[in-house]
Amino acid sequence: MTDEIARTLQEKFGDAVTPVDGFRGETSFTVDADRIKAVSRFLAERRDNAFDLLEDICGVDYPDREKRFETVYHLYSLRGKKRIRLRVPLNADHPVLPSVAGIWKAADWFEREAFDQYGIRFQGHPNLRRILNHEAFVGHPLRKDYPITRRHKLAAPTNFGWEEPAEARTGDGEFTVLNIGPAHPTMHGTLRILARLQGETILQAIPEIGYLHRGFEKTAEQLTYQQVIPLTDRLNYVSAMMNNVGYAMAVEKLLDLAIPKRGQYIRVIICELSRIIDHLVCIAANLVDLGALTPYWYCFRDREYVYDLLEALCGARLTTSYTRIGSHAHDLPEGWVERCRQVIRERIPRSIDEVEKLITHNRIFVDRTQGVGGISAQEALNFGFTGPCLRACGIPFDLRAAEPYYDYDKFDFDIPVGNNGDTYDRYLVRMEEMRQSLRIVEQALDGLPEGPHKAADRRVVLPEKERVYTRFGALVGHTKLILDGILPPPGQVYTATEAANGVLGFYIVSDGTKHPYRIKVRPPCFAIYQALARLTEGNMLADLIAIVGSLNIIAGELDR
Amino acid sequence: MGLETAKILRSSDLVTRPVDAIINWCREYSLWPYAFGTACCAIEFMAVAASHYDISRFGAEVIRFSPRQADLLIVSGTISEKMAPVLKKIYDQICDPKWVIAHGACACSGGIYNNYCTVQGIDTLIPVDVYIPGCPPTPEALLDGIIQIQKIVEGESIRDPKYRGD
Amino acid sequence: MFQNVLVWTVQNVLFPLAVPVFLLMGVPVAVWLERRGAAFIQDRVGPNRVTLFGFRNAGLLQPIADALKLLVKEDFIPARADKFLYFLAPACAMIPALLTFAVIPFGDTLQLGGHSIRLQVADLNVGLLFIFAVASLGVYGIVLGGWASDNKYTLMGGLRSSAQMISYEISMGLSIIGILILFESIRLNEIVRMQGELLFGFLPCWGIVVQPLGFLLFFVAALAETNRIPFDLPEAEAEIVAGYHLEYSSFKFSMFFMAEYVNMLVASGLMVSLFLGGWQFPGLSTETLISLLSLSWLGVSLAWLGPVLTACFQVGVFVAKIWFMMWLFVWLRWTLPRFRYDQLMALGWRVLLPLALLNLMITAVVFVIMVQWGVH
Repeated sequence: MTDEIARTLQEKFGDAVTPVDGFRGETSFTVDADRIKAVSRFLAERRDNAFDLLEDICGVDYPDREKRFETVYHLYSLRGKKRIRLRVPLNADHPVLPSVAGIWKAADWFEREAFDQYGIRFQGHPNLRRILNHEAFVGHPLRKDYPITRRHKLAAPTNFGWEEPAEARTGDGEFTVLNIGPAHPTMHGTLRILARLQGETILQAIPEIGYLHRGFEKTAEQLTYQQVIPLTDRLNYVSAMMNNVGYAMAVEKLLDLAIPKRGQYIRVIICELSRIIDHLVCIAANLVDLGALTPYWYCFRDREYVYDLLEALCGARLTTSYTRIGSHAHDLPEGWVERCRQVIRERIPRSIDEVEKLITHNRIFVDRTQGVGGISAQEALNFGFTGPCLRACGIPFDLRAAEPYYDYDKFDFDIPVGNNGDTYDRYLVRMEEMRQSLRIVEQALDGLPEGPHKAADRRVVLPEKERVYTRFGALVGHTKLILDGILPPPGQVYTATEAANGVLGFYIVSDGTKHPYRIKVRPPCFAIYQALARLTEGNMLADLIAIVGSLNIIAGELDR
Repeated sequence: MGLETAKILRSSDLVTRPVDAIINWCREYSLWPYAFGTACCAIEFMAVAASHYDISRFGAEVIRFSPRQADLLIVSGTISEKMAPVLKKIYDQICDPKWVIAHGACACSGGIYNNYCTVQGIDTLIPVDVYIPGCPPTPEALLDGIIQIQKIVEGESIRDPKYRGD
Repeated sequence: MFQNVLVWTVQNVLFPLAVPVFLLMGVPVAVWLERRGAAFIQDRVGPNRVTLFGFRNAGLLQPIADALKLLVKEDFIPARADKFLYFLAPACAMIPALLTFAVIPFGDTLQLGGHSIRLQVADLNVGLLFIFAVASLGVYGIVLGGWASDNKYTLMGGLRSSAQMISYEISMGLSIIGILILFESIRLNEIVRMQGELLFGFLPCWGIVVQPLGFLLFFVAALAETNRIPFDLPEAEAEIVAGYHLEYSSFKFSMFFMAEYVNMLVASGLMVSLFLGGWQFPGLSTETLISLLSLSWLGVSLAWLGPVLTACFQVGVFVAKIWFMMWLFVWLRWTLPRFRYDQLMALGWRVLLPLALLNLMITAVVFVIMVQWGVH
């Protein structure tokens, strides 16, 4: 399929599109800035295997090059199960290119972020303003010449340039403007929505994010590949291990390193356990927002048992930092497998069943959530939805089945799919996914192979401590690895895993040194939250609360 | 009502000691938290409010979402420069007497983030009474922090300058 | 002479003072029940650390600590609030709640040596009407509080509350009329007394037995009137962040807080009196009790012992029933989610109101038929 795409692109666009070498088997093309929109439209609207999912748009800064900036697009075709990358080089003095927000609605916020962090301007973008940094910020922090500790203070909270309509101010109009958040119970502390209300009906809802922007990407550029792992914990902090695995997988692809089967199965087990605890938090928080307070305690009670397992594995409950490049912090301790079995057979099903009994057929809950915040499958895909929110719309897209990694194709599990994409379906999909995850963990525990869990590559994986203390060669190797760091070959990779919220992608650019040149995280909830205005307008305030809770917006991942 | 009465009573030590004892007793056992949770530490706070650790045993279960009704501001998680004015505003809105817990390394000092967008400790914005280090601190550490606040409250008096209502 | 004065004092001074005090003292117990009940349902412990002189007292002191703490908190007034209304609102919420309890009887009339003491603060001939009239004033507290605080969230809470309470008051009133028809009286102590009779020889003639639908309707409407989940929109935390009492602190907030629990107690008292037999214990009428408790079968012969102990027993039964209803309130709060605004209104107008009218019609028809047949 790669050749076919390359051929058709060359036929149609000639020199504007140039294929780039297929590093690690990935398909990339360099596209001229003035043709990017046409190329995107062509790819998005192909008859066969259209690239209907825009996964990511980001910027990269190459100050040594003539064309300093590069805007990188990652597109995915669900039917063709193919991903391609488009790279658009831009001049330093005129980093302008057309926006593709008209083709994929998902591009909206991704382009705003590229503008915010790099200063790349997108012509035709509906609302090109800062998204992660605050209004008073000067400069573009991810540029290589921006010093990492240069701060700008914000004096007072702003309305990010949004003008209150004249009618609301004089009180003659029929609507009020309500500021929801960020210090608001439903907003989980970090989301802000400016809502124009008529009575209780929402006429317009504008979300603002960036309240937990912590500079993950800039910080990662200062650290070594291994040192980035603790930072990844704090992305989606309710299912931290999935981020560890996603990042480790990306670096391992960069290194072309395969980890042994035991390591893979361990990663599957911890990913599925993390998925379960993520869904438990989402459901608990969503139900608390709806007034059903008790399931919160039931969900968290059984989450503690999973935390005990994780703590036994790596010493930490939440910020686990468990994976290493090519390896893991420790192997499974003795008795862990039996404990895990007990948890997944007795504890977790208990809380899922209790919540099911209390809530799923409760008339009040069904009335509050059915038909609320629904979105069609095509529109959801256009917005860049992935994960349970997309599956609730009816599209059975799951990377574990579409692009199986770590032997997921050998496990027997179902992919729950909803009908209407409304809040009720998202809830049901998550409940069922937890049950499916339990099945996967059971099968993985049964099939857990013996053997090493770490790859046998001395340039990447630290030697065993016993050998370091007893053998000179191992000591030297250990020292070299710590001081020099892991040195991957220059190149770019993008890997994606099916995280709890959807497709979690890591785009890593390596320049051959021990520091990653660029790491871009593709957060699943970033694309989903963009659709908030579309989901809530016309509904009531109480519906907004229900919808935001069901989308599972985790600020650590959203804002990075 | 409360602070004016205190002014009158503060002159006499015989009166202030039992009054202090009563007032401190009721304040320390009924600390209503305002959970200003932004990041990972907020998830640990939620775990503390859950049944395994159960913050309500200490009387602190009534998590009020209105700053006017809260006593204890628990800042859990990193505060970004964008969030800083919001934190200050909420702190100002909380009615006296109030205490602040910096929960987690990011709130104490910026944690592992020292870059263009993070505040290096909330004590650059608001006064802090108890610092709980950890990334995230274990739930027991948060409970210990609340007990420390209770001890601080026990040691207060209506003759302290902050209660004089001057 | 002295006895007359004493009786008059007890009836007209002691009871009017004691009943509100007992109601207010019931609030800490209600709060304790709420917190511990919630903990019980949610598989955890609940407040148990409040220590006084080294004893934990199972957390019973927790509400006391809460109330005292609120007393010594900063008294805050928003800069642009309407000060008069801002101050008036908590009082408007609390006073009607306390007043309505005046006509609820908590025991049969005490006959002591020729004097009769009514165990009821005021025996008004309008009985139930008084309750509805005064209880509906409680809405003003919420609405005024919401408006006077100069805050959009509180305004929304106040608006939601006014719509909600007005809608459900109608159903509440209509659901009672069945009881009024069957018991042919509007005075509460007569209604309670009549519930002591037995139907078919064994079934106590309680309101819930003869008017099950009425009880259900009244219970739902009472949940709405007291702003309890699933009808707690005016203070829906997740949506409008504490709603109408968002800008209240210190004592005024505690007035709102206590008024909610006093409303619950009053609603429970009303439901108990109308539907659950009030102070009646099935099978033990007042005369039986007096003869039992006068302990004459033990050889004691104190004339006042029987009546007084009977009164205590009946008050105890009444209080136990109230706390059972309170437990139902708490149980429901921690089990169900809350309604959305339009669903709540739809429930009140399109479901409860027609059902109440239906109940009324059926009751009236059955009553007329029963009178025709000479059965009563």
